[in-house]
Amino acid sequence: MTDPTDALRLVQWLSPAFPIGAFAYSQGLETVISDGQIKDAAGLQHWITAILTHGSARTDAILLAHARAGADLGPLAIALAPTAERHTEMMEQGRAFGRTIAALTGTPQPLLPFALAVAHATRALNVTTTEVLTHFLQGIAAQLVSVGVRFIPLGQTDGQRILAALAPLITSFAARYATLPLADIGTATIAADLASMQHETLPVRIYRT
Amino acid sequence: MLDTGPSRQFQRSRGSASAGFVHRDGQTRLATLQQSGSAKAMLPRTHGPVPEVVFLNTSGGLTGGDRLCYHLDVPEGAEVTGTTQTAERGYASPGPAAAVRVSATVGAKARLNWLPQETLIYENAHVSRETNVELAGDAICLMVETLVLGRHAMGEAPGHARFADHRMVRRDGHPVWAETLRLDADSLACGGLPALLGGARCFAIIALIAPAAPDLTDRVRATLVEPGCVAAASGWNGKLLIRMLAQDGWPLRCQVARTLRALTPTLPRVWQMTGA
Repeated sequence: MTDPTDALRLVQWLSPAFPIGAFAYSQGLETVISDGQIKDAAGLQHWITAILTHGSARTDAILLAHARAGADLGPLAIALAPTAERHTEMMEQGRAFGRTIAALTGTPQPLLPFALAVAHATRALNVTTTEVLTHFLQGIAAQLVSVGVRFIPLGQTDGQRILAALAPLITSFAARYATLPLADIGTATIAADLASMQHETLPVRIYRT
Repeated sequence: MLDTGPSRQFQRSRGSASAGFVHRDGQTRLATLQQSGSAKAMLPRTHGPVPEVVFLNTSGGLTGGDRLCYHLDVPEGAEVTGTTQTAERGYASPGPAAAVRVSATVGAKARLNWLPQETLIYENAHVSRETNVELAGDAICLMVETLVLGRHAMGEAPGHARFADHRMVRRDGHPVWAETLRLDADSLACGGLPALLGGARCFAIIALIAPAAPDLTDRVRATLVEPGCVAAASGWNGKLLIRMLAQDGWPLRCQVARTLRALTPTLPRVWQMTGA
């Protein structure tokens, strides 16, 4: 049984307001907004859907589920980073997440990539892995929505509409990714990885990735 | 009555080829060569000091249930290049996946260049490939994989192919680069989206896994100029990755060759890059 207070802690830890610096990272989305490939709410929703369905969010969710069950996956998670900026992002967010969790709980947290830092911290919570993944995936979607809202730009309501539309997808993926074996890790987001690499040499950058 | 029974027996092909070397007095020589079934490994005479192993799948392509294994042993201090005689073809397969296993061990101060030719994925292909490289100490590995979707001259764009391409490079047993490309009907249907294939029909990845690899990032970026290709590079933590997308195979092949030339003095002779 899920503990209601733990469920609320989970929402707090994975909310966009939790200080992991999520606002600073676009995962290459800035590149495709800059070059005009994504210029409206529909394009943004397609991009986020692809990341959730075939991209890094899926990989991280599967890693998180296995790490939460006790697997030591740090070296694998770091080896799976597709670009330098994605490496920086997962490590910096993991560092910031662990620091804040340690301050809140009084328990020191190891330095881990973000998905594994979440796995480590949420082992102490009486919630299901599907619940953790639901909020984890929602957090990634919210981060990318906020990039689009600020940088395309879109209205705040457009951004919330996208998140609302993604909700059924997020809940079904959370349940599914909680059960997939590590061997099922794999992505098809070749162009998103390329956009993340191109971001390193964009002449003007607002986001760190 | 129509015959609906499970009477059709598909011919499965099996092949395994392996080459091992010894390195003495600055010379690298073939020590072991094993081949069975549809897999062959050849060592054409080369003019340089780096032996070149050319693997060949004599079955002509991959269909469901096939198993193909290639292996290279590169001892301490040696450098060896491995390639394939022709493009590998993944044909329509109703049954289980064709399994391709490529593996290599690379000793300390050694270098492997794994530079196979393209993999062509036809409609309804079902291929699972694993490439595993075990590096020791400061060993170096240069790899390329080029994937072409469909026979473009015939206007073919696979919508139902399944292709999983796992790559894992370990150094002293620890993962340093891992990647799995996974294409299926759903991702192919969305292939036009800017996050997935961006409408491209062929793509390549080049990886240099070496302690000093990130130092070459700028040199490699200067090579990413081939018209008809979108390409970018990223270097960090002892690796340099270059990703490329294109509509057509030839510009991509030219771009791959141009970038590889910045990373290795000679391309495999079987690549036949005349005119590029």
